[in-house]
Amino acid sequence: MAKTKSKSKGRPKLAFYWAASCGGCEITIVELGMRLVEASELVDIVFWPCIMDFKYSDVESLEDGEITACFFNGSIRSSENEHMAKLLRRKSQVMLSFGACSHMGGIPGLANFYDADSILERVYDTVPSLDSSRGTRPTPTIGAPGEIEIPTFYERVKSLAQAVDVDYLMPGCPPVADQVWKVLQELLSGQLPAKGAVVGAESKNNCDVCPRQKGGSRQRVKGFKRPHEVELDPHTCFLTQGVICCGPVTRAGCGLPCIRGNMPCRGCYGPPDGVLDPGAKLMSVIGALVDTDEPEKLKEILDTIVDPAGLSYRFGLANSILSELKYGPDPALRTAVCPRDQSRKEGALSPVTSEKASCLSPPRGHILSPALREESHKGDIYD
Amino acid sequence: MSCTEAIEAFADQVRAVPGGEYLEMCYSCGTCVSKCMIQQKVEPAYNPRRLLHMVMMGMREEAFKSPTTWLCSACDLCYPACPQKIRISGVVAAVKRLAVEAGYESPLETASVDESMCSGCAICVMVCPYEAPHLIEKEVEGQIDSLSEVDPAKCMGCGTCVGACPLGAIGFKGSSNQEVRRQIQVKRQKKNVPRLVTFVCDWCLRAEEDLSLLESYPENVRVIHIPCAGRIDPEMAVTALHSGIEGVLVCGCAPGECHYKRGTYVGRCKIDLLSRLCHPMSVARDRVRFVQIGTQDRGRIRNEVDAMLGSLVVQKEAR
Repeated sequence: MAKTKSKSKGRPKLAFYWAASCGGCEITIVELGMRLVEASELVDIVFWPCIMDFKYSDVESLEDGEITACFFNGSIRSSENEHMAKLLRRKSQVMLSFGACSHMGGIPGLANFYDADSILERVYDTVPSLDSSRGTRPTPTIGAPGEIEIPTFYERVKSLAQAVDVDYLMPGCPPVADQVWKVLQELLSGQLPAKGAVVGAESKNNCDVCPRQKGGSRQRVKGFKRPHEVELDPHTCFLTQGVICCGPVTRAGCGLPCIRGNMPCRGCYGPPDGVLDPGAKLMSVIGALVDTDEPEKLKEILDTIVDPAGLSYRFGLANSILSELKYGPDPALRTAVCPRDQSRKEGALSPVTSEKASCLSPPRGHILSPALREESHKGDIYD
Repeated sequence: MSCTEAIEAFADQVRAVPGGEYLEMCYSCGTCVSKCMIQQKVEPAYNPRRLLHMVMMGMREEAFKSPTTWLCSACDLCYPACPQKIRISGVVAAVKRLAVEAGYESPLETASVDESMCSGCAICVMVCPYEAPHLIEKEVEGQIDSLSEVDPAKCMGCGTCVGACPLGAIGFKGSSNQEVRRQIQVKRQKKNVPRLVTFVCDWCLRAEEDLSLLESYPENVRVIHIPCAGRIDPEMAVTALHSGIEGVLVCGCAPGECHYKRGTYVGRCKIDLLSRLCHPMSVARDRVRFVQIGTQDRGRIRNEVDAMLGSLVVQKEAR
């Protein structure tokens, strides 16, 4: 399906790349099945190292903007990830942040709870399954024989939009194959929304589509439990059963595989329109649900929540507001946060505007056009 | 129907509603009025004693129109003080129920739901201290959708639902998170002066001096009034910190004195949980604080704000 340049002149060119990720996003593309074969008749896949033997030089030899669209999954953990993100950005007309890691930092983003040194110490010194007597640590360059360079391990994990300019964000761990197919078709027909939009997902939260029986008046929580500690009723809302579900602060679009499997939502689709920080917002929901009839027991009830930070930022730590507070302001994140807010101000359901952009001439500039960005900042605290 | 019968009829009606049975025990001492925050802060004509008397006198229309009927939030500050141990809020609620049945409407600004945003998650239903929201099935854009609806007769305007709604679908005019964030902007004056945003519950400060103190703070202390500590949203606090403000202080009522039953506890839980998010991300817990100010704590707000500013200066120097 690839490297058939002579036959395929003029066909849209696609690239798939993985940075710091598990490979699940690649599997979701394979899950397209026969549709992938169908697509390969229409497009050229010029770069997909997970599936075939491609080299960096294959990308470097392309003209700038020659790739129609790049599906980039995985977060930015090392200098190599960032290098490839920048290279692919330059070579691609549309840069699509594909999957939760690329969208928000994902599971690798949880490393932002620690600093790089303590991570390396754990992995190379104190982990019990390792003989650490040699004190080996990765160093960016090794002298003999001949100079070898390995990528630098960054202090923090970044989402793709925190490293390069991104056109569209496609959430999910991994994105659902049907949604991938839909987005691919939209991409090829030039039907994509305005730059900066979240694609392949809905605008509201999971509760909107969740079939479970919702809570009633005064139905509050006297103690939180983890899913394995309780026999869960498959027909009622997890929150009413005292199990924390990220559904209220998570964008719909996945088709609820976890919830249908009687497991609470873990939040991989990221925040819906209007939510700036899913973790803080989840705490607002959970805090209000605590049963307050016996005030002296409040702390006891809150103590039953194991690892609230990991729970509420399981996928979204790297591009959360808290991450910014730790590592300092990041202009890229700021614009990634603002469009949702802007859409809310205008009462729109989604940041997707009616203006459609063709994939062959994507709007340039940042996630938002300068005019729109200025508008979105007007009167908000991000001034 | 004779005059006496009419009087008896109304009083009997009130007595028949659960909570109204204490009516007869009131001997009009007025202790309840001295405890009531509404009488002091909102409506000087507010007077539970008189309302109970009106009911006993059969003054039906007057009782239904009285602000007392509609403004009582059942905080029950008066209850422990009443020498007759009357649950006055219960009697007022009974009158209110009859008033609603007679077609009277609440004069309060009550919460409303934006149907285009509501996802029907029922969080508002679960958190409301007054059982005002409930889910309804409604046709929106050709599809049957489950949505929340607020009963204006029950809503007291505390905003606990507004803080908890994940999509910002429920609210009052001009009190969305967006609006509050707009108020948060504090311009930096001097380099070493820390900036503080103080969210103050409308009910926790009683003394005139404390209220006027809030007006007199310099630019670096921004005071934002919220109806109840239950309205606070940790997201507002983190966006404040994100915009460069050093500290966020949230003031609610003392335990047992919350004007909206559970708001101050809700606020406490939310800020406690937020600090549990901040700590692993090396954001000092002290940057967001929650204090509960009681009716007896005259002048405490000044100490709390000063202490907070002091600790922010220390933290700043340490960094």
